[in-house]
Amino acid sequence: MSNYLPILIMIVVGVAFAAVSIVASNLLSPSRSTAAKSAPYECGIVPTLEPAERFPVKFYLVAMIFVIFDIEIIFLYPWAVIFGQLKTFGLVEMVVFAVAVVAAFYYLLSAGALDWGPANRLRQAGPPDRTLASTIRRVPAAAEVGGGEGTGTGEDPDVVAA
Amino acid sequence: MMLASSTLPVPHVAYSVIGPEVVMVVGALVLLTIAALRRSPLPHAFTTSLTCSVAVVSLVWSLHVWSRVVGAGKHGFTAVDSAIAVDGFSALILVLVSVALFLSALASASFLRRESMEGPEFAVLLMLSSAGAMLMGAANDLIVLFLGLEIMSIALYVLAGSNLRRRQSGEAAIKYFVLGAFSSAIFLYGIALVYGATGSTNLSAIATFLTTSVIVHNGVLLAGMAFLLVGLGFKVAAVPFHTWAPDVYQGAPTPAVSFMAAVAKAGGFAGLLRVVYSTLGTLQIDWKPVIWALAVLSLVVGAVLAVVQRDVKRMLAYSSVSHAGFVLIGLAAASGRGIAGSLYYLFAYTFMVIGAFTVAQVVSGTGDSRHDLEDYRGLIRRQPFLAIGMSVFLLAQAGVPFTTGFLAKFSVVSAVAEAHSYALAVIAMVSAAIAAFFYLRVVGYMFSTGTGGEASAVVQPGAGTASVRFSVGDAPSAAPLPAFEHSAAAVAVMDEEVVASVGTTPALAEAPAAPLFAGVPFGPAVVIALSGAVTVVFGIWAQPLLDFARHATLLF
Repeated sequence: MSNYLPILIMIVVGVAFAAVSIVASNLLSPSRSTAAKSAPYECGIVPTLEPAERFPVKFYLVAMIFVIFDIEIIFLYPWAVIFGQLKTFGLVEMVVFAVAVVAAFYYLLSAGALDWGPANRLRQAGPPDRTLASTIRRVPAAAEVGGGEGTGTGEDPDVVAA
Repeated sequence: MMLASSTLPVPHVAYSVIGPEVVMVVGALVLLTIAALRRSPLPHAFTTSLTCSVAVVSLVWSLHVWSRVVGAGKHGFTAVDSAIAVDGFSALILVLVSVALFLSALASASFLRRESMEGPEFAVLLMLSSAGAMLMGAANDLIVLFLGLEIMSIALYVLAGSNLRRRQSGEAAIKYFVLGAFSSAIFLYGIALVYGATGSTNLSAIATFLTTSVIVHNGVLLAGMAFLLVGLGFKVAAVPFHTWAPDVYQGAPTPAVSFMAAVAKAGGFAGLLRVVYSTLGTLQIDWKPVIWALAVLSLVVGAVLAVVQRDVKRMLAYSSVSHAGFVLIGLAAASGRGIAGSLYYLFAYTFMVIGAFTVAQVVSGTGDSRHDLEDYRGLIRRQPFLAIGMSVFLLAQAGVPFTTGFLAKFSVVSAVAEAHSYALAVIAMVSAAIAAFFYLRVVGYMFSTGTGGEASAVVQPGAGTASVRFSVGDAPSAAPLPAFEHSAAAVAVMDEEVVASVGTTPALAEAPAAPLFAGVPFGPAVVIALSGAVTVVFGIWAQPLLDFARHATLLF
C-alpha cells in the first residue's frame, strides 16, 4: 500500500496546484478587460473573420486522405534507406502495405471523395427509386432533425442523409 | 546501430497461424475493391454471402490452428518473432470471432436493406473489426495487443455511427469514439510504464522477467498494470468504465450492437485474461483485489441498473455489463479452472447476445426505433418465432438450467468458490437473482396480451377468466391500443363480454394466431435458430463445449 502513497501525494499536489492557481488568479488579479484581451486567441494573430465561417465538408475528406498518404510516406522513407538489408522480406511487406493503401484509395475515388462540387455521380449511383421526396420521408420527424425541414429543400439529397 | 551489418534479422512470418486474420483483411479489401469497381451499389445478398464465406474460411482455418496446438503431445508455441501466441486460448478466440462474424453478417443483411444502408462499408468494417479482435486474442506482445485493440475499436466506432439517418447513431459513434480514444491512450501509457518497469513489451519476456527477478520498488509496474486494466476494462464495459455502453448500445444500429457486444467483449477479455492472469501472474496479490472489486461492481451495478430500463437495448447493455462481471469472476478465481470458465462464458454469451440483439433488430421495425418494452407486448401472438427465440436467449442469460447460460455461470462461480472466495460467489448469485427479474419481465411482456399497464396487471383476481383468455384465440389482439385506458384494459381482461364487443374493431378482428415465422426475414431467422440451438443443445449435451474451453489453455 505504501507503494501507492507517492502516487496519491502526486495526485493531491496536482489537484491542489490547479485549484490554488485558479482561485488565486481570480482573487488577486485585477479585472480590466479590453477589446484585445477578450478577443478569441488565435496564435497571437488578430482574428479577422468570425469563427463560424462555413467551408465545404470535402475539406475534411481531403485532409484525411492526405494524412493516410502522409503516413505511407513516413513508412516508405526508412524502408527505402534500409531496403538493401531487408531484401525480399522488405519488398513483400511493403507491397502488402501499399496494396492495402491503394485499395482504400481506389475506394475513396469511387466514393467521390475527391470530386468537388455537387455529388452528381453519387446521386446516379443510388437506387433508381430513391428521389428527393423518399429520402426526406425517411428522416424521422421535424423534432428529430431539429427543425431540419429547411435542409430537405436544399438541392442535394445527400445533405439530408449525412 | 544495425545499419552497419549487411542484413537485418527479419522475422519469419508464419502465415499458417495468422491465416484467420489475413483472410479477414483480404476479404475486406477484396469486397472494398469490387464495390469500388462497380458503378451501382452491390446487392446485399452478394455482400453478405462474401462476408459469410470469409467467416467460414476463417473458422475452418481457426479450427485447423486449434488442431495443431490442442491434443495429446501438442502444445502452444509463439510465432512471428514471438509476437503471436499460438495456443488453445488464442485458437478459441479465433473460432469465437469467426462464428460471431458469421452470425452478425447473416443477420445484418435484412437490416441494411430495411434501413436503406447501401454500400459495402458495413460488411467491410465487420471483417476488419474481427481481424482486430482475433489479433487481440493471439497477441503475445503489448504492442500487437494494442494494434489489435485499435483495429477492432476504430472499425467499431464507425459501425456505431453507420446508420446515417438516425441521429442517435451519430451520437453513439461520437461518444464511443471520444471515450474509446481516451481509454486507448490510457492503455498505451500503461504499456509504456510496464515496458519501463520490465524492459520489454513481449508478454513472455515480461513474465520471465517477473518470475526471475524481484522488483523492490514496483510502483511503476503497478501503475502500468492499473492503466492496462483501465484500457481493457473499458473495452469489456466493466464498472466503473461502463458508462459508454448503454448509450452506444441504444444508439448504434442493432446488428452492429450484436457484433460489438460479442466481439469487443471477446477481444477485450482475451487481452485481459492473457495480460493479467498469464503475464502478470506473479503480481496476483496486487491485482486480485482490483479484479474482485471490478467484478462485484459490474455484477451489482449492471443488474440493478438494468432493472430500471424501459428500452430493451439499454437493458441488454446493462445486462452485458453484468455478464462482464461474471467473466471477471473467472479471472478473480486466478486458476486454470477460472480461466476455462471465463472462456466458456464468453463462448456461450456470444450466441445468447447475438441471438437476443437479432430478435431486437427484427422487432425494432423500420427506422430501428421500436425498442421499448411495450413494443414487445404480445409478441408471441404477432411473431411467435421471435418471442420463443428471445425467451430462450433471455432465460439462458438469466442462467436457467439446460442452457449454456447456466453452465457458464456455474463454471465461473464454482471456480471462484474453489478458490475460497465465497463472498464473490454469493454476490454473483444474488446479482443473478436480480438479473433474472428483468429478463423474466421481458419474457412476461412477450407472452402477455394485455393492452396497457404493467404485465403483472394482467394477472388479476379471477385467474380462471385470465387463463380462458390465454387459451381462447379471439381475445384482444396483440396490437397495442393506446386509446384504451388502463382500467378499460383491465376490464377487458376480466370480462369476456367486453372483449367480444371490443373485438368488432378492425384492429382486433385480425387473425390472432400469426404463422410461426411471421415477419422474420431469412437471415435473422437462421441466426436466431442457430444461436438458440447452440444455447439449448450445448446446455443439455454440455461436455463438448466445456472440454473446448477447458483445453483452451494459455501458453505459459
